Parts: sequence; structure tokens; C-alpha cells
Amino acid sequence: MRRKTCGTLGAAAEFLAIALLALGLARPAFPQANAAAPKTSPTASNHLRTTGTTTSTVSPAFGPPVKTYGSKNAPITMEVFTDYQCPSCRNLFEQTLRPLINEYVASGKVYLIHHDFPLPMHRYGYEAARWANAAARVGQFGNVEAALYDHQDAWGADGNIAKYVEDAVPAADFKRIEKLMQGCEDRSTPTSAAQGPGCALDSYIEQDRAIGLQIPVQSTPTYVISRKGQKLPAGTGVVSWPILKQFFDSLLSS
Amino acid sequence: MNENGRSKLGRNLLLVGRIALGVIFLIAAYQKMKPQGGMSWGLASIKTSLALFAMGVDSYQMLPPWAVSPLAHFIPPFELFLGLWLLSGIALRLSSLISTLAIGVFITAMFSAYERGLTISCGCFGPGEHVGPLTLMRDSLLFLPLALALTIGSFWIRRKPRESAAPETVAPTPRTN
Repeated sequence: MRRKTCGTLGAAAEFLAIALLALGLARPAFPQANAAAPKTSPTASNHLRTTGTTTSTVSPAFGPPVKTYGSKNAPITMEVFTDYQCPSCRNLFEQTLRPLINEYVASGKVYLIHHDFPLPMHRYGYEAARWANAAARVGQFGNVEAALYDHQDAWGADGNIAKYVEDAVPAADFKRIEKLMQGCEDRSTPTSAAQGPGCALDSYIEQDRAIGLQIPVQSTPTYVISRKGQKLPAGTGVVSWPILKQFFDSLLSS
Repeated sequence: MNENGRSKLGRNLLLVGRIALGVIFLIAAYQKMKPQGGMSWGLASIKTSLALFAMGVDSYQMLPPWAVSPLAHFIPPFELFLGLWLLSGIALRLSSLISTLAIGVFITAMFSAYERGLTISCGCFGPGEHVGPLTLMRDSLLFLPLALALTIGSFWIRRKPRESAAPETVAPTPRTN
């Protein structure tokens, strides 16, 4: 009996050992489907961005950058292409966009969309756009945009942008922003394949630039106003709020 | 070429010049007032187009906001009137002089914006045309000389006395070359 049992157990053990051995040898042949795939939160989307021949994975915990103000259902849409180191863009933001946001965006008349269009002659413009996009991914775009323009002269002189971003957002959000900025230490324009994995945020900036080049944007600030899906000719330069408001009023009344 | 021939040539050149300049002003007025963004012709669309032109005027950053809107609403109808006035040929000396002054003011504003480094829309023929070397050259080397030539020509060419309805029989006077 014991022999039978042993015999039976022995056969089973042999079978088990062979099965385990077979699995151990066969495992490398099977693709590790989910081993490297990052977890996806139910509200965020997972992005894979390619810079040259390497691939960098954007953190899945944050969605795409939201750089808009107001409701998409507003009758008028205004898209603005700016460079954070551009003095005219700062003037437009301070003199025109701020009251626009406080009055016509808040009342649902205008939907404001920001697009990045950093210019080559501005040394820290691209990096500032990266910070803004990182902030936009954690829902702090408005605060950071304002901080960047308010302190443009300061960070434009020494490139110390982080300081002003940190002051503009809660500490926890700044940590998240810093995490998103990992890999973006190179301050130059979009990293090439030769430079390594690159900055994952560059893809958003390049998307904005591609939109701008279709207009085409030749300088900043440039703005495009649409009403009922019809785009009006693009405008450039600084326009004062009273004049822009008059234009919006005529559009709304027509 | 005798004096009559020169006078006739001068008048023909004046005719061509005032028609050309008149058409330029009419096109400029039309481009500023035509409906934008898929709107159809109407008072509302003209009002919107003039408001859009006001934004272009404002971008020059030469006037306070309270002055921009009235000026922007004045310029296109003024260009329309000027164009028609030139085409009519009535009071050509005055119309050509005013045209020259107007173009001179526009070019001065454009040079000022360019010198200050503003990359803005010219607004000369509606939105979309940037202030730059090409627009500056076009306006200062083409439009302004045309207007100046017209002005100088209109003052230079003296009108001959009008002939009466019934032809008179006059003995031919000997010509002196």
C-alpha cells in the first residue's frame, strides 16, 4: 500500500516537477503583456510619447494639460498663441486677458484657449512652457500662467522659473509638478533623439506649435476668434480690453 | 511734341493716376468693411468688421482706447469717399492732396510700429497683412509716389478754356515751334 502510495505520489511528483520545469523554460517565450505597462487610473489616460527613437511614458496619474478658461459652450472662442517670455504677450495677458477672464469668460460669453508658441529668440520661453504644461496637468495652469507673466522680468534674467511656480501653487501640487518636470532639465528646445529620452511635456508644446503653424502664427501674441464655428482672420499684437470688448459685443449682438 | 501734345499726355497720365489711386482706396475700404467669419452683408456685419479693424488700429499702440474706435469707424468710409472722389475727377487738386496726406499718415504709423518692433497686422487692406519691409516698400515706393505725382500733376496741368457750343470760324494762327 505504502509502495502504491509512494508509487502514486512519486509519479505525481515527477509529473509536477516536469511541469514546473517546462513552465520555467517556456516563460521567456511568452510576452510580458502587463509587466511594464503602467497602471491606469480610471479618470486619466495613459500616453506614450516618442522623442526621436526613444519612448518616454508620461505619468498616468495626470491627464493631459488643461489650458483653457470657461465653458466650451460659450458663443465665442478665443485662441491665443503666446510665448511666456514675450513682453507683448505679458502685456496682452495683464491688460486684456485678465479682465476678459474675470468678465466675459466668467459670464460664459467667451471660451479662452491658450496655446504655447515659444519663440527661438527667448532663451527660457520653452522651459517656461514646460512648467506651464506640467502645472496644467495638475490643474494649476491659471495660477502658474499668471505667475510666469507677473515675474517675467525676474525669471527671464536668470531662468529661475521653479521659484515662481512654487510660490504660485500649493506645496503638494508643486511636488507633482516637479515630478512631471523630471527629464526636462535640458533647457533648450525639444530634445532630439541624440540627447536622450527627452521631456515628455514637449509633445504638448509641439502640438500647440503645429496648430499655430497652420494659421500661420508668425509672431506672438497671435489670437484667433471664432463664432459659431466660423474663424475670423487672426490678429496679432496687443489689443486693449475696451476695444476687444467692443468687438465681442458686436459679435454677440449680430 | 508740342504743347498741346504734352498737355494731352499729362491729362491722360492724370486720368490713369487718379483712376488707379481711386481704385486702391476703394479696395482698401472694401477689405476693411466686408463681412468676416461667414457673415452676410448687412449693417451688423459692417459693424463687426469695423470693430475688427479697430482692433488692428489699437495694435499700433499709438492712441488711447477712447480714440481708437472713432478713428477705426471713420477711416474705411473715408477711404470709400476718397476713392469715389478721385474717380469722379471733381476738384482733383484737393482730392489728390488729401489722398497724399492720408497715405503719408498711414505710412508714418507703419514705420513707427516697425521701428518699435511691433509685429502687427498692417490693416491696409483688411486683416492678415503684416507690417514689414514688403508692406513698407509697397506703400512708400508705390502708393505714395503715385499720390504725389497725381497731386503735383493736378496742380501743374492748367486747364484750357472750355470751347463754346457753336464753333466759330476763326482764321488759323501761325504756329510757332
